[in-house]
Amino acid sequence: MIVAGRTGSDGVRLVLEAEEAMLLSELADQVDSVLLLGAEDDPALGRLLPNAYPDDADAAREFARYTRGSLVDGKRQAAQSVRDATAVGEGERLVEIELDQVQAWGWLTFLTDLRLILAERVGLGEEGTPEQDEQRDDYLRAAYEWAGFVQGSMLEVLDPTES
Amino acid sequence: MTDTLERLELDRATGPVLEQVWRTIVWDDPVNLMTYVTYVFQSYFGYPRDEAERLMLLVHHEGRAVVASGNREAMERHVQAMHGYGLQASVSKADP
Repeated sequence: MIVAGRTGSDGVRLVLEAEEAMLLSELADQVDSVLLLGAEDDPALGRLLPNAYPDDADAAREFARYTRGSLVDGKRQAAQSVRDATAVGEGERLVEIELDQVQAWGWLTFLTDLRLILAERVGLGEEGTPEQDEQRDDYLRAAYEWAGFVQGSMLEVLDPTES
Repeated sequence: MTDTLERLELDRATGPVLEQVWRTIVWDDPVNLMTYVTYVFQSYFGYPRDEAERLMLLVHHEGRAVVASGNREAMERHVQAMHGYGLQASVSKADP
């Protein structure tokens, strides 16, 4: 994977191997599914849509009632745009993607949501989590690290004062 | 002039209500990259890099930081934006 600035304009340019693009596309689809189909008590959804009033249940419910729809829409749009941008054509070995500052924001937030979900699924940050399925967890952990690497690389290129 | 004086009186009368300050609190989350949190603070709040980094480190070391204060509506907008960016944030009333 190559992450670089764009010549003559803001934003970022990504070059992904076909396998990387397919992986990202698949992960983006899964994030979209969690947002669309996630059960109310799915802890991963709790990470994406945190409690705005930890000490006031009524205010928390009210806040969720009028923000949840647009938050979910925004996150789903970000995931869908990543999924679409990483579609691999027949026989393609590399996928080149150019993102302007606004599109790059969508990617950054998608990568964050992805990592929040993966962390929740693997139980990262929690001690003494029993290893249920080591192979699956290794895969999720690798995806988590990789998503962090992609995000970190993008942040080295992007200028926050331009968005 | 009279107008102004009257307004001052009015301000004084409604002062305590208007001055009720709310805060936007961002909580530490081991998942988010430090560079990302700094980026959000710079980009969304428009904080200079130094201030954004100071707040990010406060979140990181203290577990949380007040990143904005003002009226409740504005704080709710900020918290909604933070949730949009995947940061753990909440609204809280400032201590009197």
